[in-house]
Amino acid sequence: MSSLTVRNVIFRTDELFELQLERGTLQFEPGSCMALFSDSTESRPYSIAAGTGDEILRFLVRRVADGTVSHWLAQRKQGDKVQVSAPFGWFRPGAATGSRSVFIATGTGIAPFLSYLRSNPSCTPELCLYGVRRLVEAFNLEELQRIENFSLALSQEETNDHFYGRVTGLLEQIPFSDDIHYYLCGLDTMIDETSAWLENHGVAYTQIHREIFFYEDEQH
Amino acid sequence: MKMNSTEQWNYTSQQEPRGYIQPQSLEELWFHTGTNCNLRCPFCLEGSKPGDNRIEFLTLADAQRFIDEALLLGVKKFSFTGGEPFVNPEFIPILAAALAHHPCLLLTNATEPLMNQMGAILPLLEQPNSLNFRVSLDHPDPAKHDESRGKGNFRKALDTLGRLHREGFGVSIARHMLPGEDSVAVDQDYAPYFETARVPADLTIIKFPEFHLPGSLPQVAEITETCMTQYLSAERRAAFMCNYSKMIVKKNGQCGVYACTLVDDVDNYDLGKTLHEAMEQRVMLGHHRCYSCFAGGASCSEGS
Repeated sequence: MSSLTVRNVIFRTDELFELQLERGTLQFEPGSCMALFSDSTESRPYSIAAGTGDEILRFLVRRVADGTVSHWLAQRKQGDKVQVSAPFGWFRPGAATGSRSVFIATGTGIAPFLSYLRSNPSCTPELCLYGVRRLVEAFNLEELQRIENFSLALSQEETNDHFYGRVTGLLEQIPFSDDIHYYLCGLDTMIDETSAWLENHGVAYTQIHREIFFYEDEQH
Repeated sequence: MKMNSTEQWNYTSQQEPRGYIQPQSLEELWFHTGTNCNLRCPFCLEGSKPGDNRIEFLTLADAQRFIDEALLLGVKKFSFTGGEPFVNPEFIPILAAALAHHPCLLLTNATEPLMNQMGAILPLLEQPNSLNFRVSLDHPDPAKHDESRGKGNFRKALDTLGRLHREGFGVSIARHMLPGEDSVAVDQDYAPYFETARVPADLTIIKFPEFHLPGSLPQVAEITETCMTQYLSAERRAAFMCNYSKMIVKKNGQCGVYACTLVDDVDNYDLGKTLHEAMEQRVMLGHHRCYSCFAGGASCSEGS
């Protein structure tokens, strides 16, 4: 366990914020997470949203009800110290060699995909679908909209520019090919529904990669 | 946790000679892949959780050294536990190195770390030896399993168990054993889930009693030399894991050889830096988990 200095805490909404930590000499891969500790030595894993060449670490955090760690992190100020584990992980967007990728995320589940895109600016996915409840909750939208095939789904807000509904309403956009791997990150119900949909459309389960960040019944 | 002195270690609190096992052979070598785990189960006997490094990730170079030494000692099987082994970034190469020589057993929660690496796991079927996955399904009630392991994890583990079986790997499950339970009835309660997963109805079910958290000191009877000779046959004594197996554990950058899979929280059970050295060491039955082996014949091993 080591300790890193807080560079900034940037709130998007009352419950969503980006925590920036000085990186030091830490090495990681896109998809890596780190356990972040509160002062009560409770810890929770958070996925790194920064690129592997960036000088700071970025984490997208949702303050959850009764969440000791997320509440403590939300109160950090520039210069504070945060105890962290070494980076680790088992969800590696775009890592399957010689393959193309489809990314599907909800909420803060976009973090590992941001890390991949920032680490590999010349490698873009075949498709990136991102679902949030309201427009204000979408992290780094301008950056994501530079992807040729990017769609945002808003489940609780109607706008002229984005799909109104859950991200699973966009699954018909998904391309199929033996060399495409599908990476799903975020809400459990999205991941379960999308995994089943992909398998029903003939995608091999070895080409579906999943990482659950939140459960449907935890949502407000 | 440290036991203070040799005197205290060799004798019980009543000053009777403590029971012991003098290891006879190395048939099975266990590797601890690290206490980092994707889950955070409150009962975990290793205290594993995301980011934990009480026991560090084993590397391929670490494992290879002990695989080579174990082969010289006539080992017949390699086994792996964690943490969740598939969180270790070098686990699949380690597994391949071990499977090149002997059958392997691994303990897993069969959730995302394994599921996401199935594409790399399937080629292990081409190895010359068999690989058996022991999947944790703590209770035959998904709600009870998920209460500790996280929502949806019973269903995921069951689904993965079925996929592994259909792909051609060996599978078994591990469950919790509750005091006073009707073990046959509890085992039978898994039948509908086995049917759903399309695994054999007579799948091996390994039952584990409560082992308590690492570093805890529950009150259990102490095992004396007299207990070992008066109450246990030579066959029962030979069945103690510490008689025929050892476990490799990495702490503070160094690998040590521990007496068995259940005692890595007590430094006295670090028996040396090599298997040859460790096999010479008498294993004193002073850990509270030793009583489980004494009373119930608990073992982490299973036939290959």
